[in-house]
Amino acid sequence: MKIERRNFLIFGSLFGLSSYVNAREISMFEREFKKVKLTISAVQEHMFPPMSKLPSAKDMNVIAFLFETVEHQSFDKDIRDFIIEGAQEFMTREKGTFISMSDTDKEKALRDYEKTNYGSSWISRIMTITMEGMFGDPIYGSNVKEAGWKALGAYSGLPRPSKRYLDV
Amino acid sequence: MYDVVVIGSGASGGAVAYSLCKAGYKVLLIEKGRLITRDEFTKDELAYSRRDLVTPSLFDEYHTIEQMVDGKWEVTPTHESGWSFWNGNMVGGSSNLMSGMVHRMHPDDFRLQSKYGDIEGANVVDWPISYEDMEPYYDLTEELVGISGHYEKHKYEPWRSRKNFTQTPTNENAVVKLLDKSCRSLGITPLVTPRAVLSRDKDDRNACYYSNFCGSYGCSSGAKSSSREALIKPALATGNLTLLTNTHVKSLHTSQKGEVDYAVVVDTITGKEKKISGKLFVVAAQAHESARLLLNSSNKHHPNGLANSSGELGKNLLFSGGGSGQGELHKENLKEIKFEELMTTGLFVNRSVLDWYFVDHWWDGTFKGGSVEFMFEHQNIISRARKNNYENAKLVWGKDLGDKLSKRFKEQKSIRFEIFNDWLPNDNCFVSLDKTHKDKYGMPVGKLRLEGHPQDVKVGKYIAQKCENILEEMGATNIYSAVNSSASQNLVAGGCRFGDDPKKSVLNKYCQAHDVSNLYVADASFMPTGGSVAYTWTIYANAFRVADYIIAQLKNKV
Repeated sequence: MKIERRNFLIFGSLFGLSSYVNAREISMFEREFKKVKLTISAVQEHMFPPMSKLPSAKDMNVIAFLFETVEHQSFDKDIRDFIIEGAQEFMTREKGTFISMSDTDKEKALRDYEKTNYGSSWISRIMTITMEGMFGDPIYGSNVKEAGWKALGAYSGLPRPSKRYLDV
Repeated sequence: MYDVVVIGSGASGGAVAYSLCKAGYKVLLIEKGRLITRDEFTKDELAYSRRDLVTPSLFDEYHTIEQMVDGKWEVTPTHESGWSFWNGNMVGGSSNLMSGMVHRMHPDDFRLQSKYGDIEGANVVDWPISYEDMEPYYDLTEELVGISGHYEKHKYEPWRSRKNFTQTPTNENAVVKLLDKSCRSLGITPLVTPRAVLSRDKDDRNACYYSNFCGSYGCSSGAKSSSREALIKPALATGNLTLLTNTHVKSLHTSQKGEVDYAVVVDTITGKEKKISGKLFVVAAQAHESARLLLNSSNKHHPNGLANSSGELGKNLLFSGGGSGQGELHKENLKEIKFEELMTTGLFVNRSVLDWYFVDHWWDGTFKGGSVEFMFEHQNIISRARKNNYENAKLVWGKDLGDKLSKRFKEQKSIRFEIFNDWLPNDNCFVSLDKTHKDKYGMPVGKLRLEGHPQDVKVGKYIAQKCENILEEMGATNIYSAVNSSASQNLVAGGCRFGDDPKKSVLNKYCQAHDVSNLYVADASFMPTGGSVAYTWTIYANAFRVADYIIAQLKNKV
């Protein structure tokens, strides 16, 4: 897939073909995402637990934010694949048990995965997208009632968006 | 047929279009991006700072970067590295997104070779014009485009024909009391930074409303002196300007006479191509892209690219030398001002230091130095949170992350400095055409070789040390600076040097191509050396100067 895309870019393309390819990839993404959703969500909830000075991942609905962000056609195709593949790799390592582990075991499993370059990049990517939801404008569906901003005492400038870039 | 076709609507394209329209000429202004109006801009961090909303996807349009790795030149496309060299494809270009800290170049910047002689490995030459030629246009920019500030006499502050700025400085955070005092106690003179942001209403533009999110964002009051607000809107009002958006110029065609007769353009939405004719063409697509367009316009009359009989096209590309640094001001040991004052949002720091613009010291030596700007760390919330969640190279999460971010955001504020020193022109910094990589329009992409000169880093580090001393005097902690020879993708100049000798330069002193009489390049491409300040004021000023010459030429033709 990767090599094909590189060649595609190097030798130019027929106008408009890229959006067709992208649409096909997006529907594939939706199917694959469903298989890893619970694991990614559990990782986010471990990163942003309840009873912290920050709002919890669960309350902020960050898994839905992550899906919408990554699914969108403007999102980097390689990173979209990486989000899925990194989760699949993590599930393989932990034999699919991460979601039912105790907090202590979850911490150990994530820290062990972080020791690999691949795992570290994947965890970092999940953290970035989760923070984007948590501290981005509430119009994107996360940062509910500005709880992320309130926790930091930092607020967006004005005017705030009335439309999401995802919908333009 | 249009009198003049201008390619690119950023600072220079806007200035040329404005002057010509005011003089009564019919102008077509072509812009690759779309029109985003004042009412449409928001402070949506996700859209403007973290996604490609105003730049092309790097999978569609990109550059290739050539860097020396283990003694060999290696080429990496920017869609692999993520290092974008696009700066804002929309009406007004990147002038919509600037933070607006601007300075005039110093008179000696126009004659660097005469002042300092040759530097080994650097292609330093004097400009064919002097500060005296440019000063009226710096002044015009200050008034017409709108630059706020306060003039104070300083040995390295260029002379000016107007006593002081018409627009007083924008409002300042109380941190300037601490910064000014700290500078003075070290014998350093802090100066008010001229800023391309209005402090008072001007025509239909409203004064700054201190949104706390200026750089990287479009302005919603019209205070920021973008080409769109200051020039394109009034140019449209003359009735002489046609604005053609979502249109990319692929190449320029030349007639048997050797003059440009039409541009080959593509509609970026439909993909439809057409030809646009004009009497005179002005290229203003940003330095690296202007050179690429001319290189992509080669034909039998101009086999090595349009206006390239000298072989200089694309050569001596410039960025900005220097780097940046920062330190943290903490609640518990803050001096001079109250913590609440420090934490007040939206107000500017507005301070610069020119003390090391030229260095002539018994111990340090004599060399061209640079300028420094002080500011708060950018207030983007996501990026501030994200970069503060590492500890010992591991990600912090859970309760520890909550504690860390809460402290970081609520009990301290970071103050930054940015150093601008000359990026010395050299043989290993240029743009050429990539022979294999093409953009989605089927045109060869620009290949950028980006080597800096060792002197740039030496100068940057010298100034960084002085700035770290200032932060220390302010009581800041965790002070660090980073100076390297990495190219600044938002400060690009050169590639179409101007000069008197057609064998050694692409443009004459009016930025008219030596080889093609009806072709001008009005953006920062003309600069043979870049000075030690951000380019914006000089880009505006020079484009007004070029426009005056074009008007004189057009009048003579009638």
